[in-house]
Amino acid sequence: MTDNIKVKVRNMTKKFGDLLVLDDISFDVHKGEFLCIVGPTGCGKTTFLNCITKLYEPTSGEILVNNEPVNLKKHNVAYIFQEYSTMPWLTVEQNVAFGLEIKGVDKETIRREVDEVLEMVGLMDYRNYYPVELSTSMIQRVVIARAFATKPELLLMDEPYGQLDVELRFKLEDELLKLWKKTGTTVIFITHNIEEAVYLSENILVLTNKPTTIKRNLENHLPRPRNVVDPEFVKVRNEVTELIKWW
Amino acid sequence: MGRFKDAAKYEKTIFAVISITTFLLIWYLVTKDTELGKVLAGPVTVFGKFFKSFTEPLGTHVIPGHILWSLSRVMVGYVVASILGIILGVTMGWSRLVEAMFRPLFEIIRPIPPIAWIPLAILWFGLGELTKYFLIALATFSNVTMNAYSGAKSVDPVLIGAARMLGASDSRIFMTIVLPASVPHIFAGLQIALGSAWATVVAAEMVRSSEGVGWVIITGQDTNNSVQILVGIIAVGIIGYVLAIMMRQIEANLCSWSERGK
Repeated sequence: MTDNIKVKVRNMTKKFGDLLVLDDISFDVHKGEFLCIVGPTGCGKTTFLNCITKLYEPTSGEILVNNEPVNLKKHNVAYIFQEYSTMPWLTVEQNVAFGLEIKGVDKETIRREVDEVLEMVGLMDYRNYYPVELSTSMIQRVVIARAFATKPELLLMDEPYGQLDVELRFKLEDELLKLWKKTGTTVIFITHNIEEAVYLSENILVLTNKPTTIKRNLENHLPRPRNVVDPEFVKVRNEVTELIKWW
Repeated sequence: MGRFKDAAKYEKTIFAVISITTFLLIWYLVTKDTELGKVLAGPVTVFGKFFKSFTEPLGTHVIPGHILWSLSRVMVGYVVASILGIILGVTMGWSRLVEAMFRPLFEIIRPIPPIAWIPLAILWFGLGELTKYFLIALATFSNVTMNAYSGAKSVDPVLIGAARMLGASDSRIFMTIVLPASVPHIFAGLQIALGSAWATVVAAEMVRSSEGVGWVIITGQDTNNSVQILVGIIAVGIIGYVLAIMMRQIEANLCSWSERGK
């Protein structure tokens, strides 16, 4: 069964000096799973992602992708930051092509992939615009398009919709689910928004306050498409809220 | 939007015309049959001479010839120093090692005005062209380096992180992120540098030359000819203005993605 596991985190601990941020965390993420990680503000959610991507080295423990230590040159991992990370000097389509160019994909394929992914996120008409000419939600779609264009085996998202208003967030969440289903990529999505986590995920990892451990790994079997006012949905949401309460 | 822009442009032109006309009028009045007029030629005389010198040589060249001489000197020193300055500045901003090595040295040299190097430059390179190139290059170098440096330093770390996550190597990040992100800063430096390079060529030519706008000015002094001095000064002003406009146009084309380029 290990073959089906995409990410394996074993006894991961991260200290900054004397400050213990992540305390002996272990869990698995299955191939094609959509995992949401929720937890109180400042509980080290971002630190956790940064350990997976080796932006930080964990103090102890290991993180395996496909049963190997994570290696960004080898594993196709995409990371969508909280901040908007489009390159302002590149047009929408150049931004989307950027990741593919880095990976040395040939021009013909780049053109095809870019067209396809721009179509999916509805930015076809804006391909020659610069980010400065776009709204924030469109910029975040460019970033998402750039990530999906590289066909990542693992997609890490750190509160990507934290700065958007509700309507746009709903729209982009649906778009993300569509892309996820279509590509079958494994997604680890960090959020502090419980409703968002319940709406998107197949599994929810609830973290505790610092020093952070896993409070619960909750399976979310709600049928899709989900409805945020559905009583079943509300039940799961309340359950997560109870778990996350630290006051 | 377009109509607003047109109206603003129209307004700007009107004010420019009014301010220049007022200036010329005051100049005309204070020099017409006055004591001041004996030491300062009026605008009619000066501009008359200026346009005349397009056909009648001052010394060995007509005025466009002098301008071209000065411009060619500026271009040699400016281009060489700009290339070196961009390379040093951006690498200094990107690599801590290069920064640690060059920054202290650079900080000491930077505040020295280029004309303070004139005596040393003459001792080193004599009175020929090399001295002028050297001084212009100095005037350009520190401005360009400093701006390229601060440009590379202020690249958004999120963009570097994003490129790294996509698997970009350090050299790739340098070429595709740091360099383009620094372009608006580099352009600001190139603009300032062009101004000071143009100022320096005049100073360098005043020290020793047989042609160029600096020569026109200094010969005017030697021959007690205030008209010629003013002709030289007008040429300096007009060319400086034209160069600044050209640079702004190039920047607008190259940096249309940034706020500065707008």
